[in-house]
Amino acid sequence: MAESDRRLPVSLIVAGLVAIAVVSMVVDRRGVIERGREFPAWLGSLLDIAAPVQDAVAMPFEAVRDTWSGYISLLHVKLQNDTLQREVARLSEENLQLREALVASGRLQRIADMRKHYEVPMLPAELVGVDASPWFRSVLVDRGRDRGVLSGMPVISEKGLVGLVTATSRHSAKAMLVLDRQTSVDGVIQRSRSRGTVRGRGSDELEFEFVARNSDVRVNDLVITSGLGGVYPKGLFIGTISEVSDPGTQLMRRATIQPAVDFGRLEQVFVMLRRGPTMELLYSTQVGDESPPSESAGPPS
Amino acid sequence: MKRTLLILLIGIAAPVLQGALNTFVPARFTPDLAFLVVIGLGLYWRSTAGGLVLAATLGFAADLLSGSLLGQQALLRLLAFGAARSASGHLNLRGAVPQSFFVVGLTALNALGVATLNVFFTAGGGFDLVMLRDLLSHALLNALFAFPVSRLVEAVATAFGDDEGARRALRLTPRVRSI
Repeated sequence: MAESDRRLPVSLIVAGLVAIAVVSMVVDRRGVIERGREFPAWLGSLLDIAAPVQDAVAMPFEAVRDTWSGYISLLHVKLQNDTLQREVARLSEENLQLREALVASGRLQRIADMRKHYEVPMLPAELVGVDASPWFRSVLVDRGRDRGVLSGMPVISEKGLVGLVTATSRHSAKAMLVLDRQTSVDGVIQRSRSRGTVRGRGSDELEFEFVARNSDVRVNDLVITSGLGGVYPKGLFIGTISEVSDPGTQLMRRATIQPAVDFGRLEQVFVMLRRGPTMELLYSTQVGDESPPSESAGPPS
Repeated sequence: MKRTLLILLIGIAAPVLQGALNTFVPARFTPDLAFLVVIGLGLYWRSTAGGLVLAATLGFAADLLSGSLLGQQALLRLLAFGAARSASGHLNLRGAVPQSFFVVGLTALNALGVATLNVFFTAGGGFDLVMLRDLLSHALLNALFAFPVSRLVEAVATAFGDDEGARRALRLTPRVRSI
């Protein structure tokens, strides 16, 4: 009797904790789909504490890496400098000629207007931590809600698409990389305009699943965002096709993409401070609104 | 209380520090220290109820720092704690070798759990070859670090004196005198 009395609370605690975990997952999933995850202060405090701690811990490692890469870079810097100066001269000349051509055709003003329309303010952010679990690919950056970062904002680097902000606290934010298994992005082959879905595989490569089985795709084709998902703006560089599989009897044609961004060396990113139309529509929906858009059942893509 | 706080500190500091380290080393080449702390709790923590609450708390902390859904790793940590607790009652897991084998198995189950929950709750795919490749290196590293981490948990579990024993002695002493 005494033993069963002692066991009862444990079984109740197990049931309670399991229920809390499951309910928490369901609520969090709804949050991801419907309104973004802007953590309240009490919940986000761990992220806010983790960011500077991770930054401090990484500092000595970064110093060693920077010193080493700086030394290696120095060996090539003279040659690179000469090449770049020649390239700058060539591009300046080309730019001048293009401007002349545009002015001549009267399109410059229209292009300037278009740029104003599409130009998105970007916030530079330092990557301070990477997911400790090998089963998820997310990063922690040192900019949060106090700097205007919100869930659903795209994250890029100077080389291309990095991922999407999935949760924010006051001073930091969590971004899911395109490499993560939960990520999918609508992409297009720049050369042939063949469209498909780019999916993370959890590895350092991406998978491109084409809409049409007879899509025109070749190795070294460039893949960019199509803008159709309404999450990422059109034209962000995703990567280069490294392998094309024979569709065989399968319905879909698949290819492997080498991402443009070297995620192993990623240090600084830019958060695009404007959400795509789909994310804006989903996340600006008030909590308790009974009629969320039907597309929200899927993950951000 | 001190022991609980110390374990919480260790269990939360582990993923934070690992997060910083993983900017240089891929996660699959590092052990999951917070997961190993939970296994250590299952093996050595005296109170099952307290251990369960600790395991869930550490899981939620890992969820906050990770790309998982809030509660996903908490649920798996509860299962890991339960498995370690149950196994320690039937097997001798005090040695480094049996502990390593046990941790390899539990790491594989944890990966399967992640994949299963991903299929149910997110758009993430199930268990695949990439996951299997990552699992091999990750499980091996977990096995290598399992023993030292569980010894650390054992040391914390027995540190700061034995509170329960002390309380029992205080209650019993007057009874003996009254008789």
